[in-house]
Amino acid sequence: MTAATWSAEQRRAFTIGLAPALIVLAAVTLGPAIYLVATSLTPLTPLTPGSGLDFSTPLANYSQALFDSSFVHSVGLQLELSAITVGLQTLVGLGLALLLNIESRFMEAVRTGFLVPMVLPPIVVAIIWKVLYTPNISPLYAALGALGISAGSLVTDPTWALPALAVADTWEWFPFTLLMVLAALQMMPKEPLEAARIDGANAWQMFWYVRLPFIRPALTVAVLFRLIDSIKAFPLIYIITNGGPGQATEVTNYYAFIQTFNFAYWGYGSAIATMMVGGVFILSLIVARLGGTQAVGE
Amino acid sequence: MQTRIRRRHIMAAGAAAGGALMLPGKAPAAGGTKPLQGVTLNVSCWSAPYPLMLTKYIPEFEEQTGARVVYTTPSFPIYNQRMDIALATRSDAYDVINVTFIYIGRWVGAGWVVPLDPYFSNPKLTPAGWDASDFLPGTTTVFKNAKGELCAIPWIADIMMSAASRYDIMQKAGFGLPDTFAQMQKMLGAVNGKDGLPGFITENHYGWTFIGFLQGFGGNIFRNPPHDLMPVLDTPQAVEAADFFCNMLRSYGPKGVLSYTYDEVVAQLKQGSMIYTTENEDFVAQMAQPSSKVQKTCAFAMFPAGPAGRFPQIATHGWGIPIGSRKKDAAWQFIAWSMSKDLLLRMFRDDGWSSITRRSIIEMPEFRQKLTLNGYDVAKMYLDTIDLGAKGYMNYRIVPPYPQVDRQIDIAIGNITSGQKTAKAAMAEAQQNSISQLRRAGVKI
Amino acid sequence: MSTASTAAAAHSQATPQVRPRHRKIYWRRHAIHAAGAALLFLALLPVLWLVLMSFRPNADVLGAGLLFVPTLDNYRALGGGGFPDSFIHSLLASTGSTVLSLVIGVPAAYALARYRFRANKQIAMWILVTRMAPPIAFTIPFFLAFTWLGLMDTVSGLILIYLTFNLAMVVWTMKSFFDAVPRSLEEAAWIDGAGVWQAFVRVTLPLAAPGLAATGILCFILSWNDFFFALILTRTDAMTAPVAIVNFMQYAGWEWGKIAAAGVVVLLPVLVFTFFVRSYLVRGLMAGGVKE
Repeated sequence: MTAATWSAEQRRAFTIGLAPALIVLAAVTLGPAIYLVATSLTPLTPLTPGSGLDFSTPLANYSQALFDSSFVHSVGLQLELSAITVGLQTLVGLGLALLLNIESRFMEAVRTGFLVPMVLPPIVVAIIWKVLYTPNISPLYAALGALGISAGSLVTDPTWALPALAVADTWEWFPFTLLMVLAALQMMPKEPLEAARIDGANAWQMFWYVRLPFIRPALTVAVLFRLIDSIKAFPLIYIITNGGPGQATEVTNYYAFIQTFNFAYWGYGSAIATMMVGGVFILSLIVARLGGTQAVGE
Repeated sequence: MQTRIRRRHIMAAGAAAGGALMLPGKAPAAGGTKPLQGVTLNVSCWSAPYPLMLTKYIPEFEEQTGARVVYTTPSFPIYNQRMDIALATRSDAYDVINVTFIYIGRWVGAGWVVPLDPYFSNPKLTPAGWDASDFLPGTTTVFKNAKGELCAIPWIADIMMSAASRYDIMQKAGFGLPDTFAQMQKMLGAVNGKDGLPGFITENHYGWTFIGFLQGFGGNIFRNPPHDLMPVLDTPQAVEAADFFCNMLRSYGPKGVLSYTYDEVVAQLKQGSMIYTTENEDFVAQMAQPSSKVQKTCAFAMFPAGPAGRFPQIATHGWGIPIGSRKKDAAWQFIAWSMSKDLLLRMFRDDGWSSITRRSIIEMPEFRQKLTLNGYDVAKMYLDTIDLGAKGYMNYRIVPPYPQVDRQIDIAIGNITSGQKTAKAAMAEAQQNSISQLRRAGVKI
Repeated sequence: MSTASTAAAAHSQATPQVRPRHRKIYWRRHAIHAAGAALLFLALLPVLWLVLMSFRPNADVLGAGLLFVPTLDNYRALGGGGFPDSFIHSLLASTGSTVLSLVIGVPAAYALARYRFRANKQIAMWILVTRMAPPIAFTIPFFLAFTWLGLMDTVSGLILIYLTFNLAMVVWTMKSFFDAVPRSLEEAAWIDGAGVWQAFVRVTLPLAAPGLAATGILCFILSWNDFFFALILTRTDAMTAPVAIVNFMQYAGWEWGKIAAAGVVVLLPVLVFTFFVRSYLVRGLMAGGVKE
């Protein structure tokens, strides 16, 4: 067999391997994507037959959204929620990883244990935190009560509802950052650490100047993933606050859900979803740039 | 070949038609086939007490007719969401459904449930003496479409009542059940916190629980439904009502009052963890059951009156047939069976089902007796409320885009109670948002 | 310096006095172990509380005390109301979607790892973007498509829509595993006359087996945990376990013992799986984002 035919055969073989995935992915993602953008230009609602073909005012949904105070408010809330929860997850994950960064069988077991919050069905996590946040059945409130502290309900308090959800979300996902950072830390070569130690660096300097630059790509990817997922937060809100009190936890994803499925504004919901994807895309680019370009493009 | 197939089809159709000719409830005719043999009916309703009670009778229907019933009772929000989408897409997934009261306007108005009038006098599908006119007019008017055809058979007319779980505490403080809003406020001020219990609770579906107060203060949701749909949520009366209601929740409600859904409220009432409530009769009546801890300390009265009068809210739900169903005749037989006088009477006698919509049963002295809960003549309250309802103040419910306004009210009450907005600001916002929502839904205002 | 002492120096701090240092390290190590265990216990307390609650008799379910007579009533009560069926649907949908994603995705990942297609970077970006879309973006078009195709409320329909998130993940993670397998072994097989895919099956797959297991488990877990798609796209015939819980919550009238039991039952399969493949799972997660 000549090199040329082998190369051609290789190319053919790999293309055959890749093709089904691309076709399926295109079918399940491009199709809906085109549909999404198309319907976002119409006032589609099942209540009005033919509304799906009404392209007379293509940008009406978008302008309506931008002028809808609920929508604008929801974007602010979404950014707030994402900032708090991603920030907390990063800090907790990073802190724990640094603390537990020793190689031992016991640590491996502990690591596995930390997987639990992350693999639980989100709906079970939502139920657990609903219990924890309901004063008359929560062990937390009972414990506080035993100490003589009478705390109010957090999730019906406009200032604390969103942070309370962020705490629940952090509990659910900090293991993700923990594991990513731990992996990076364990892959770190020992020489730079050695050199720094010989030079007399203290713990903080070791972290900031030696460890951090090395784990930066992994940290960036973790933050990126968590950011993307934080936008999709749904079960916690659905079970615990239903967007309330008032609209204090009605983040954009939840707002879109209500508009689409409770009010049957499908065209409008599509417009919001399109804007969300655009927004997340831009945010991701920013995070990737901040985190160093080697993290992107894998 | 083709003629043979056609003949086979005709024979099969004939057999099916023959089956449908059998009167429901009668013994199978010669040949031993039951009327709905081999038919699968998909029936669904939200998890209210009545549908749950009906579950154990369904095998009887299956036995009588040979049909197989797939019966599902999801929770209220899930049921409504599913049904809304299923009806909107004219799906054939369901044959008998519950027409939920806040969606009556949308589902009946858009023609998604079929008119049932043709069935009433059809001797082949409806047993003699079934008597469609036996249903209280107050419960059937809301299910009539623009042409006056009845599109659902009401299985409940749930009335909003005033009820105490711990009447003993109220009596000790020197109060009876309040008859007016002013009395209610005074009473709650006195009993709140006694025995460590919160004074007041109601479920967080405020688009339902707030309206009795709204109208009692002289306010309303729309200017003149169903013709003039301009919202009037920002009138001084509406603001006053919102202020009052939210003050009750904030000052006398439990911690996290905004998170209480209907079943949590019922569970807490039966435990005796709240003192007083304004809630559905269907829910509060459970306090008088043997399983309730407060069987001896519960008390009932009509919904209190405000300065503008008494407006106890009435929630009617009914059985309907979706337009997409392919077994409408069989579906009707299910409805006819479940709403027959015999079955309702049995459910009343054996299970204590009391929100009956048939006049013939309500007017029986036995009904009055049984609906005496812990000594209170709830039957009279029920009838009085239905009569009041005939005045038409519940018309706001049959407006198709009501769910959107319903949510605005939920949001407003949430905002006021949690201190995020003043009553004036919150109701003004609800007004603005309702107007834009109605316009988006195509209403001309 | 000899390798032994280099190792010792690398492992501990460079110092001439070894024994007191070792003791200090010993205590430090165990302090960290203790801290790790304590933190883990704290982190898992909410789950433990849920499990406890599922065994409480309903009368005492709101109690905060730790002494109570455990009962299986709550678990027994799960028998009705379609809950067991939902479990089976979840199992079928998760397994089916995992198998399908692996079958389609693994060859694609291998192709991307080995062959320099022109569009490699674009494809990676596209895959990331599909993960960015909120579930709502997919549900309406899929809802309409399913209604039209008759896939509404079917397990097959769920398997199909789970491809939207599983396929991309399979391709991405398996690619990084394949990247870590040295080409030389396959090239040797090619020289011996094996075809591309023959070499793949005989040489590469066995080496990447841990990664395959990890990815498969991840697919299963993600499918099992899905709530939103199942909520909108199923009714009764294909209702999955997470949706059944929400249904159950109001069916049971806030009887927390039963709800807790339902929650425990839904999380068990995932925990069992995680336990059996824990090391693979950790390796799989790490490979997902860490680059040498």
